Amino acid sequence: MAENFEQHSDISAADLARLSQEAQAEATPSTAKIIWSEFKADRPAMAALFIIVGFIVFVMVGALFINTPKMMETNIMAYFNQPFTPEFWLGADSGGRSVAKQLIVGSRNSIGIAIGLTIISSTFGICWGLISGYFNGYIDWGMQRVYDFMMMLPMTMMIIVLVTIIPHYNSVTLTFIFSIFYWEGTSRLIRSRTLAEAEKDYVAASRTSGTSHWKIIFREIMPNISSLIIVDCTLSFAENIGVETGLSYLGFGLPSQTPSLGTMISNANDPNNITQYWWTWLPAALEIIILCLAISYVGQVLRRAADASQRQGAAD
Amino acid sequence: MSLIEIKDLKVHYPIRTGFWNRITDSVRAVDGITFNIEAGETYGLVGESGSGKSTTGKSVVGLEKVTSGSILYKGQDITKAENRRKLDYNRDVQMIFQDSLSSLNPRKRIEDIIAEPLRNFEHLSKDDEKLRVLQLLDIVGLDADALYKYPHQFSGGQRQRIGVARAVATNPKLIIADEPVSALDLSVQAQVLNFMKKIQREFGISYLFISHDLGVVRHMCNNIAIMNRGRLVEIGTRDDIYNHPLHIYTKRLLAAIPETNVNQREAHRASRLAVEKVYQEQQSKYYDDDGEAYPLVQISKTHAVALPQALAQQLATQEGEVQA
Repeated sequence: MAENFEQHSDISAADLARLSQEAQAEATPSTAKIIWSEFKADRPAMAALFIIVGFIVFVMVGALFINTPKMMETNIMAYFNQPFTPEFWLGADSGGRSVAKQLIVGSRNSIGIAIGLTIISSTFGICWGLISGYFNGYIDWGMQRVYDFMMMLPMTMMIIVLVTIIPHYNSVTLTFIFSIFYWEGTSRLIRSRTLAEAEKDYVAASRTSGTSHWKIIFREIMPNISSLIIVDCTLSFAENIGVETGLSYLGFGLPSQTPSLGTMISNANDPNNITQYWWTWLPAALEIIILCLAISYVGQVLRRAADASQRQGAAD
Repeated sequence: MSLIEIKDLKVHYPIRTGFWNRITDSVRAVDGITFNIEAGETYGLVGESGSGKSTTGKSVVGLEKVTSGSILYKGQDITKAENRRKLDYNRDVQMIFQDSLSSLNPRKRIEDIIAEPLRNFEHLSKDDEKLRVLQLLDIVGLDADALYKYPHQFSGGQRQRIGVARAVATNPKLIIADEPVSALDLSVQAQVLNFMKKIQREFGISYLFISHDLGVVRHMCNNIAIMNRGRLVEIGTRDDIYNHPLHIYTKRLLAAIPETNVNQREAHRASRLAVEKVYQEQQSKYYDDDGEAYPLVQISKTHAVALPQALAQQLATQEGEVQA
């Protein structure tokens, strides 16, 4: 069998090293390189990337040095302390608690929930959509009825009810509660693309090459819809920051002793705070706006990197 | 014994209608066809779009769910998935697709694409595998630079040659070539076809060559089957089909081959119109009451046509063919 090929080709084992080196020189750059050159071509996105990474690292590390229970203690002497003072950089709220410290711990909580929620719900949604779209037929039918049932449940109401039933909940349980409901949009999106992708000839070619179904789904089809997955993940990350924030704002998110971006923004419920004590809510609001903008810039670059025809980076 | 024996193969797609989504009718894409492919030969399957030739090819390679009938390989019916798995069937039967771009995964490097069947069926060491891929690239006339490139960096002809290399990788006995060159321009068509012929000579592979281009089929095939509306209408050697066509559908296909000789333009036009006139006037003679082809009738040892016995005899004597 191997002799058969040797007979009809001049290439032998001796040439292997030389030829693979030659091929290496002509190789197409790796995905990481492509993404990096794409970032270099887009200055605002580069800045956005540094803002996001720097900020997340800062709040994750910074929160470790803050004693949260102590920070949340009421200090009547610092009642609505003015900002830009040595002790209170961003002032204090009605409980005399430092806004700056609350912002760091609150960002850690909110971003942590958003990251956890994005990872869990997107992973589940992507798997659900890929499997449903690839196998089609009865499997698809069954999985889509489950999806329809989940869609039918009123999401916000269910979350509020679950939050009130569960006695001791924290950011981890909250993340899981959110995850039950937030995989649906992703799964429909991925399913519709998978349906189209599974009809293509390269899938048929993989099947005639003896590749198993699971390998085809996750190694052949998934890389081909990666641009869709990346865009969906970045957008849902930005959206998920809002999910926790919104629910905490309504008072059903994290417990009141756990600061989050949502609880800080809910300071704006009080007209006094809006007019006089702007420092209690404005920093958190600005942070959310800047973070979401930055994430969507980064998402755009990733999408361009995944689609060869949209690239702006230098081709090398 | 033939390499592959196809017996009364049927592929029907259900049509569901009404409130309960019941099966009310079916599209008969392939409706009872029987033929054999011999080892080392190129078998041509010709017909218009929608005549079921691609469906036949996909059934043979195991991509299509067969409604009834059997396909025998080494005495086993490979329409059943478990038999295919037991035999490592796709190691011996591979496919070349029509659209070279969509048949190569755009996210995989050429090395991974060609090595895919090797990884599943042969389990070579890393170096042996890379060597085999390089040899395959060499056989289809591509440089070693191609190894780490992506499909979109190649021209259509090069891509189709990569498809050929992948199909040959496990040294199969039969390759289903589903219109392998119809998306390529003429000079590149000849290039790819010649590579396919070269590989056939060197490795003794059989082809099931599916095409609507009778010029290409004449260049490639020894035995030809003409397909129309899911059924075979004529089977024969190259000589039978091109020089003694009996069925009106074959005659129409042959008349449709463009002729470059300008001096005889009028004569060709007249003969085309004559064939078309016969078709219009005598359609009922060539097809049964439902508009479907008759069962095949043997005319000579190699030649069979789908006509009623009496008409087939009459036409055969007209054509001056020797009786079997």
